Amino acid sequence: MLNRNPLRKRQYIGTLIGIIVTIVTYIILPLKQTEDFLSLGPLNTGHEGLSCNACHTDAKGSLIQQLQSNMAYTFGARKTKVDFGTQNVDNKKCIACHDRPNDRHPTHRFLEPKFKDAIANIDATQCETCHREHNDTRVVLAEANFCVNCHYDLEVKNDPINVPHSTLISNKQWNTCLQCHDFHGNHLYKVAEKIEDTIPLQEIQNYLRGGKDPFSSKKKHLPLSEDEWLKMKAKHTNSK
Amino acid sequence: MNRYGIKNLVFLLAINSIMFLQSCGGVPEEKSSTTQSNKVFAVSEILTLIAEENDITRTLYTKGIVGAGKKQGLKFDEDWQDDEVEAGPLPALFLRGISSDIRKSIVPLGLYLGSDFPINASNKFTGKQAELFEKIKTNKEPQHFFEEDQKLYTSMFADLAVAAPCVNCHNEHKNTTKTDWKLGDVMGATTWQYPSDSLSYKEAIDVIKAYRNGTKAIYTAYLDKIATFKIDSTKPSIGNKWPSKGFYIPTADVFIDSVRKLTSYKSFEKLLADSKRRKNNYLVSN
Repeated sequence: MLNRNPLRKRQYIGTLIGIIVTIVTYIILPLKQTEDFLSLGPLNTGHEGLSCNACHTDAKGSLIQQLQSNMAYTFGARKTKVDFGTQNVDNKKCIACHDRPNDRHPTHRFLEPKFKDAIANIDATQCETCHREHNDTRVVLAEANFCVNCHYDLEVKNDPINVPHSTLISNKQWNTCLQCHDFHGNHLYKVAEKIEDTIPLQEIQNYLRGGKDPFSSKKKHLPLSEDEWLKMKAKHTNSK
Repeated sequence: MNRYGIKNLVFLLAINSIMFLQSCGGVPEEKSSTTQSNKVFAVSEILTLIAEENDITRTLYTKGIVGAGKKQGLKFDEDWQDDEVEAGPLPALFLRGISSDIRKSIVPLGLYLGSDFPINASNKFTGKQAELFEKIKTNKEPQHFFEEDQKLYTSMFADLAVAAPCVNCHNEHKNTTKTDWKLGDVMGATTWQYPSDSLSYKEAIDVIKAYRNGTKAIYTAYLDKIATFKIDSTKPSIGNKWPSKGFYIPTADVFIDSVRKLTSYKSFEKLLADSKRRKNNYLVSN
């Protein structure tokens, strides 16, 4: 069969090489050693050393089942499509390790209708709006002035700071908020009462870019490590 | 093998591949209890039911724990979760705790508290909620609407000053924006949201369970906080007794049992009454 036409022979050899490359890739890419090669970019601060599948957990069903389900969805034979390969990384994944009952700005808070104008500017209902992964940083926003979206009409009674909030707001100094206020409220520290004692803006900006934590080394709630998360997951799976 | 034979082989392989894919069966679709025929409750009915449970739960907490507890020397504070503050959650934060816990569950229920004169500015109503709250203040009737932008069915219910601690705390708070609250006033409104216009029995029960689990979670968090109080004499005894009997605080089970006793009969009757009506409607329409 291969002797009939040299062009046909090349075609078969090409097909064979394609199949071999596909099989080898399929075997090699899921290996732990190739994670860096597959990653979209360096992990964000605090996530260094995490395995891919700490966040990118396996989707439900086998690959063939997922393929079939999505084909059925494409042709209208089922209402919902399914994750292919790995599950979508959403808020629930983040909160599995970063659950903090004292969070001042939990994402679900912004689902209330009154925040719809604010979230049109900055979608605070999603962790990844600020903390998009694979960017080697802490916060991906270019400016730390996002407080304006909700607190633009803030009035503080019994204002404790020497430069009143009303002055800071009228001067549109929204970059200064984080010099006193930790957005998620998890750091244990004493808030300054004089503007000159607050955390310098440069340190805040460094922190947002992944640098040293200027608020405090102490936190009320620590996130789960990958091992702790795996144990919790195993416990949850076994109890089902 | 001639080219027709190869074409046949390719055709057979393709057919076999499709059959192989189909024979495996796909990932099961999550629709067991959500088919349209099972959707027996209008969303407004279930949100009304759960809002009534919430009224009873919060009244019990406000009167039985906060009001009576303050007389025994217990403290309640908006910064109750801070390490240096030895206090429990104020009723508004108790509700926020329930809301947060619901959000951790798989039940897509949203719960928020707002007002036109809130202590915390972030709880002030704006936009459509502010408009509807004006109506609620005049007739105390719930407002049900579809929030177009979010595609969520939304209901607002009056939050009344049902107990002296509500009025006293809000009037005397250092950051209050109104100092003449009195018993019976509409102090604010709870806003509830759900993504579907109707619910099955399972979904309705899941909503009730999520709310009750939230109550237990925030109350347990309060008891956990008491355990961290540095001076033993500031820790009330945790057991069967309530603060009205002395320096006591009920366990989570005792508190939740009391909530259940006050709410379950009404909720259950409502579910059953609605089911009878629905059955009659079904018979009439068929």
